[in-house]
Parts: sequence; structure tokens; C-alpha cells
Amino acid sequence: MEESFENLSKHKKTCQRTVPCQFFAPQRIEEALEILSRYGKEIKIIAGGTDLLIQYYDRLYEVGSWLDLKNIKELKEVKINKNQMEIGAMVSHAQLENSEDIKKYYPVLSQAAADIGSPQIRNRGTIGGNIVNASPAGDLLAPLMAYDAQFKLLSTQGEMSVPAEEFFIGPKKTILEPVQLLTRIILPLPSERTYGCWIKIGKRKALSIATITLALVVEMDEDNKTVKDVRACLGSVAPTPIEIKEIRKKMRGKDFNQLDFAELGQIVEDKISPIDDIRGTREYRKDVAKNIMINALEEIDSSFGGRINE
Amino acid sequence: MSKLMIELTINGKKRKVKTTASTRLLDLLRDDLHLTGTKEGCGKGECGACTVIMNGELIASCLVLAPQADGAVITTIEGIGNGGHLDPIQEAFVETGAVQCGFCTPGMILAAKKLLKENPHPDEEEIKRGISGNLCRCTGYQKIFDAVKLAADRLSSRNGGRGEKDA
Repeated sequence: MEESFENLSKHKKTCQRTVPCQFFAPQRIEEALEILSRYGKEIKIIAGGTDLLIQYYDRLYEVGSWLDLKNIKELKEVKINKNQMEIGAMVSHAQLENSEDIKKYYPVLSQAAADIGSPQIRNRGTIGGNIVNASPAGDLLAPLMAYDAQFKLLSTQGEMSVPAEEFFIGPKKTILEPVQLLTRIILPLPSERTYGCWIKIGKRKALSIATITLALVVEMDEDNKTVKDVRACLGSVAPTPIEIKEIRKKMRGKDFNQLDFAELGQIVEDKISPIDDIRGTREYRKDVAKNIMINALEEIDSSFGGRINE
Repeated sequence: MSKLMIELTINGKKRKVKTTASTRLLDLLRDDLHLTGTKEGCGKGECGACTVIMNGELIASCLVLAPQADGAVITTIEGIGNGGHLDPIQEAFVETGAVQCGFCTPGMILAAKKLLKENPHPDEEEIKRGISGNLCRCTGYQKIFDAVKLAADRLSSRNGGRGEKDA
């Protein structure tokens, strides 16, 4: 009861807004941070708007003010800095899809971006928006976790760096404070012997929200057959994107040729607890999770010439 | 709600428009500028009826706030073709029967325009991907594919193999 009263009063407050709705589009990050520290929760940060304007489709009038990041050029850059890649939060899905550097170093991320929505959505939607929106079905989230991404959060109080897996705390919930801005996504440059596979299952190719996604990234040792490290990350199977850590335990240090793909698929099935929803049942998702894990391992296997005959 | 002034170049003409912070670009085009060729279907970016070309990119105008388009260069369906003369893409749509109820057509034409500008000789898969953000509930798409192919052939023969000219 208490909670519903609280909601009512919140609603009243937004409906009786007397301050005119404002639109800010600063050119510098510092200005954006100033505005954020001044308005906090009263302002909506807008990047591509491809999630936000759907969310506010029939209640745009509720938004107090907008902070548009479109004029901040440094948020649109993709650059290599020493041994890491820095991706600005305003980099669009189309940019990720087409960037030669992203295709070369992070093919799983590039392919995931290519599978988002439609050309219209990919031209506007951004990596930062996908992260901050924190949908359990966000297509870029499992790939970012699989590549060990760190997110840079900036406020007038300073900068902090958060690993992807600590950033998401629930469906559409993150640790981001209203005064903080996600500015950059940092990815370590992978070694040359890193292989990846992206699989998205949805009802149709275009404009589908994922029923399940898998981003599998395997790094081999110098012999190119011993597994040095691996991350199997899934979307749409839990309140947040998740890594199946047991896969790492099971595969690390093993000869890739000796792995039992069916067993690894079973581990993925056992370790997820998806829900029934409009895009698929729990049972379906569990079956598919196993099968796409096996498919992904087979694809990585064939990407370096198939298993060696004994 | 306070008014704010934005300036855009629409179909080659500079326009200054008074709008509000929460007005969608789609509503600005239709209601303020009376460019009603741009349609609203779902209002959620899924159907493509509101597609326009903004700063050279295909976008859904229902998912852009008008002030986000401040300073932008926009082409709507009214900017395609020249007065009484249809654009070759429009001609191809008419000839192949790719227009039935017509509601998706403005968005489809703009998606085709953008596709052929970037890729003058698309194969069937590339055409499918190029118009994947635009739904048509009448044609079953085959005639739209035919139209895009016909337009591609004509444009490349007219422009000496170079394909679509600048929009």
C-alpha cells in the first residue's frame, strides 16, 4: 500500500510540472556533467533515443528536461590507446558494424551490432544507450562481457571504472547514479589467437528482441590448441547478461580438440534459469542454450580448420 | 512547455521552426511543415512508415526528437523526384505494382534510395537487408524487390554504371 501511494505522489509531481521542459545539447562533456549535477533525476539523458522514445511513447510529457549528447564529438570516437580499445558511448550500432578495427579485434561485438533492429535503428542507437538501458535482451551486452569490457563513468566528482559484470544489477537496473555519465567503453586488445562466435535467436531476422543470445570468446595458448581463457556469456536468460563461469573452469588449460562439446552445452543449460515470456518458454530457452553453445564451439573449431584427426 | 527554435534543411530548403523539447521529428514534419508523405505506423521504430533520410542516414522519425534534428539535412518523400517528374525509383515501384495501399511506400522508396546510393547493384539478400526496417502488409515484398532491381538497372544504365546520384 505504502508503495502505491508513493507512486501516486510521484506521478502527481511530474504532471504538475511548472518549470518548462528544456532541451540541452552541450558540446563539451564538462558542460553535460554540470547539467547532470544540477538536474539529477529530473533530466533524461538521450543518446540515439531508440529505446528511450519507445519507453516514453505515450508519456513524453512526463520528461522534465532532456540532455542530448549528440554534439559531444569525443563520445563518437573509436580509438586504440596502447593495448586497449576505447569506444565512445555515442558510437552507433552502424559504426560498430562497419568499423574495420571493431571487425578485426571484436568480431562478436560487430556481428551483434549488425543484428540489432533495422538500418533505421542501427543508425541512431548507440553502444552507450544499449548499456545504460540494461535490457536483459540488450544485444551488445553479452559480447561486451565476453570481451571483458570496463565502463568509464564520469561525474563532476570524478571518474570511475566498472567491469561490465558489476554494472548490471537487474532488468533495466544498473549501478549508474543520476549524476553520472557513461562516457567510454574500454576493451583490452585480444591476442591474435582469439576466436569468437555470436549467435542470436529471435522470431525473425530484423527488428526482433532476442529470445536468447550467446557470445563465446576463446583465447588459445601459443600452441593454438590449448585453451588459455574463455568466456561464454548469454543474454535473455537471466535478469542481467551473465557469464557461465563453470565453462571457464572446464575449458581452461584443456586441448580444444579434446573437449566434449555436448558436455559443455549441458553445463550452459544447467546453469541458466530463464523465465517464460512472450519470446519463449523457460524450457525452450534451456534447450536452445545448450544447442547454440554446441554450435558456437563447432563454429570456432571449424574456424581453425576443424579438429585434427588422431 | 517552452518553445524553442530549430533550423533544418528539408528537401533542399532551409526552414526555421518553432517547436518544443518533447516534439517528435515525425510530428514536426507532419503537423508543423505539413509534409504528410511521412507516415506514422507503429510510432515505435518497428514499421518504418516514418522513415526519412537525415544527414545521409536512414532513420525512423518517430524515434527522434525535433531538437535532436536541429541543424540536420533531411530528405522526405516530398523531396524525391522533381515536381511532376517521378524519380526512377518511384517509376519502378509504379511499373512493377509494388504499391498497393501505399502506406509503407514513402518509407520503402527512401530505404531503396539510400540502398541504391550506397550499393548500385544490390543482390536479393542486400535488398532484403536494405529494406528490413520497413514493413509492407500488402505486397508480400516480391514486387518491392522487383521494383528495386528494376530501378537499379535503369539508374546504372542512365548514369553510365555509376548507379544512384546524390540524393
